[in-house]
Amino acid sequence: MNNLIEFFKNNFHHFVAAVLLILCFVLIGHSMSYSRYKIARICQSITMPVEKSWGKMIRQFNLSKENEQLLQQNLELLRKQENMFLTREDTTLTQMSETDSVHTTRTRLYDYTYAHVTFATTDKPFNYIIIDKGSRDGIDRDMAVLSPTGIVGVVSDVSKNFSSIIPIPHLDTRISAVIPSINQVGAVVWDGKEADIAYLNDIPQHLEINIGDSVLTSGYSTIFPKGLMIGTVKEVSTEQNATFLTIKVKLSTDFKNLDLLYVVKNLYRSELDSLKSNFKNE
Amino acid sequence: MNSTLTNIIRCIIALLLQIFICNYIHLFGFLTPAIYLFALFLLPTDLPKSVQYLIAFAMGFVVDMFTHTLGVNAAASIILMFARPYISNLMNGRKTIEINDRPMPAHKDFRWMLGFTFLLTLIHQTAVVMLETFSFRHFGKTVLVIIGDTILTVIVILSIDYLFYSQTKRA
Repeated sequence: MNNLIEFFKNNFHHFVAAVLLILCFVLIGHSMSYSRYKIARICQSITMPVEKSWGKMIRQFNLSKENEQLLQQNLELLRKQENMFLTREDTTLTQMSETDSVHTTRTRLYDYTYAHVTFATTDKPFNYIIIDKGSRDGIDRDMAVLSPTGIVGVVSDVSKNFSSIIPIPHLDTRISAVIPSINQVGAVVWDGKEADIAYLNDIPQHLEINIGDSVLTSGYSTIFPKGLMIGTVKEVSTEQNATFLTIKVKLSTDFKNLDLLYVVKNLYRSELDSLKSNFKNE
Repeated sequence: MNSTLTNIIRCIIALLLQIFICNYIHLFGFLTPAIYLFALFLLPTDLPKSVQYLIAFAMGFVVDMFTHTLGVNAAASIILMFARPYISNLMNGRKTIEINDRPMPAHKDFRWMLGFTFLLTLIHQTAVVMLETFSFRHFGKTVLVIIGDTILTVIVILSIDYLFYSQTKRA
């Protein structure tokens, strides 16, 4: 014990020097951003590969939760898009304000919810998709169904817990579509052959259409909001004695690999439908 | 008491010179003399070593505060203090060990003065520049800065020593 105390007494100055030096290095690390950055980078080059591969494995366990969160976030973003609203000038406010600015009010026209596919076919002439949400979740007939990459179809029948969807690959499909580059409205139909190819009808022959032009929903029906992706033009051809172009459209939705779907609700559909029912052809 | 006061005043003068004059000298764009080292060289050797370390740290710290390189000069000064007895032993060689190992022209010859100052300054400047650049890239330029700083500092410190400490009576 005495030896130990003696040792400390004799070497006290070394301890002082060591403590002061450590203090200096702490100060250097704290005050000088370049050395701090450099130290951090050296540490990172060692720990990064380990953390990366390990983190990948850890993330696998949280994927479903993360997926759910992303889904909610996506829904929020989708609900904020411009084509979800009816924009209208607020005439009283515009007249009352002294500046020249035009005041508008926005009314929500469409709302989103999501569902997962329980069953789907792609190889029949009258294909269908079953999703895991029904009337209990507020799904109703004639609602639009979207996938993350494009539109899918329309809800046809609803039970308590499930709904069936008529997808674009279905012989009765007829969706109002527009090619924005020429601003011409046509109808997308399916010919019963390949699940990822549809045809765009009613585009006159004199119009120039490029391969790769995108085909969007027109918003003329009460079902689909305006400006949603349907697909891209794959092939344009003219047939003899025809007044319209034959346009092959590559659908942007992969119908063989569907899982997550968004269901779009038109909040004013009954109002719009009551107007339309006055005409005999509806 | 008198010696203590002298040392304190010397340290303060060295710091003032360093902070207000030498920190603004950038010879050839990058050479700055570390003039405050002459006070550290002249610290009495019979002072307790822990006190020597504390003084070195305090002086380095004050210089760092004004150059915004917190810790660099302090660390280098502590290393210098650690190396000081070894360097003076090295310079003494086989001669009998003298009590007063301070670089004073009255007691030492020029060779001793030059070697002692040069080696310690080199150690100090190596520590400072390496801690500041913190990288082995552009190593040639780093070495150039170290040697240039060292030579400049040695010239300045030796001039001070020979100007003010040539007479025997000052301790």
